[in-house]
Amino acid sequence: MGKLLRIGVTLLVVFAAILAGNWIWNHYLHSPWTRDGRIRADVITVAPDVSGWVTRLEVSNNQLVNKGDLLFVIDESRYQAKIAEAGAYLAQKRSAWELAQHQYQRHEGLSGRQTISDENLETYRIQTESAKASYELAQAQLATARIDLQRTRVTAPETGTVSNLSLSEGNYVNQGQPVVSLVQKSSFYVTGYFEETKLQKIHVGQNARVTLMSGGEMQGKVASIAQGIADTSVSSNSQLLPQVQQAVNWVRLAQRIPVDITLDSLPPGLNLSAGMTVSIYLDTDQ
Amino acid sequence: MLFSPLVVLGPLAFLMTMATRWVLHRLNWRRYIWKDAWFDVGIFVCYLALTIYWVGD
Repeated sequence: MGKLLRIGVTLLVVFAAILAGNWIWNHYLHSPWTRDGRIRADVITVAPDVSGWVTRLEVSNNQLVNKGDLLFVIDESRYQAKIAEAGAYLAQKRSAWELAQHQYQRHEGLSGRQTISDENLETYRIQTESAKASYELAQAQLATARIDLQRTRVTAPETGTVSNLSLSEGNYVNQGQPVVSLVQKSSFYVTGYFEETKLQKIHVGQNARVTLMSGGEMQGKVASIAQGIADTSVSSNSQLLPQVQQAVNWVRLAQRIPVDITLDSLPPGLNLSAGMTVSIYLDTDQ
Repeated sequence: MLFSPLVVLGPLAFLMTMATRWVLHRLNWRRYIWKDAWFDVGIFVCYLALTIYWVGD
């Protein structure tokens, strides 16, 4: 009896250990949680639509700006001169069009008296059309010059916070090159990098608990699962042949798949910054 | 946690196993154990699972 009790107690503990070990294995390999998550936000990189010197900088680093607020002003003098030039060109083209119209109407009146050939009359008509087209082109050029002048005042496209500002008054900015980064307000979301072994237990709409490294906690929902990541083991050589890296078969590392999570609501007083590290735990009973 | 939880939870489970072993020894209950090593490893794995479940998050 004593021997049976000893064997029974030991086997009971061993059996419990097998169950516990199985749970640990599943917890680390298949349960949908990860410590590899990041806070992310929609970032707008503001680029000027015209080139020139920055004459006025209206914002400072990490400043909250509203949609439409002035960020900076580019030297306007060149663009004002362009408007004057385009205006004068427009006046010139209008005169040319009026002259062509006048000539055509005069010669059209003469055509009944057989003093001008049909061919010459047609030439005047075409000249009038051409002068009209030139006038419309000059109008468009003036409109473009006005747009350029308007675009010397760069405004915030959305409400957000200016980030990592290195722009100063006097800097020369080029058309299309980003100079101000704007972290859009209330656009925070989370991206979790889940091992591929856990992916089968993740689905869109699943509830998520997100904990910050600093201790705060948030709730959210799975919004999307990435459908592809880059294959780092394959590239091409100069002959476009695949360059496949040798792999060690002893250890197979699980790939990490990005999963986006929208946040339900942020706790009041919680400071969030894009790039912060988070842990993510997804509900599995759904 | 700033580092891998197992770095803390593994030693914690080991300490709990040692404490259990000591208590059983003091109570003279180890005589009810058939294979000491099987029992100790089993207890360690159970404690490890418990610590991961309770404080692993």
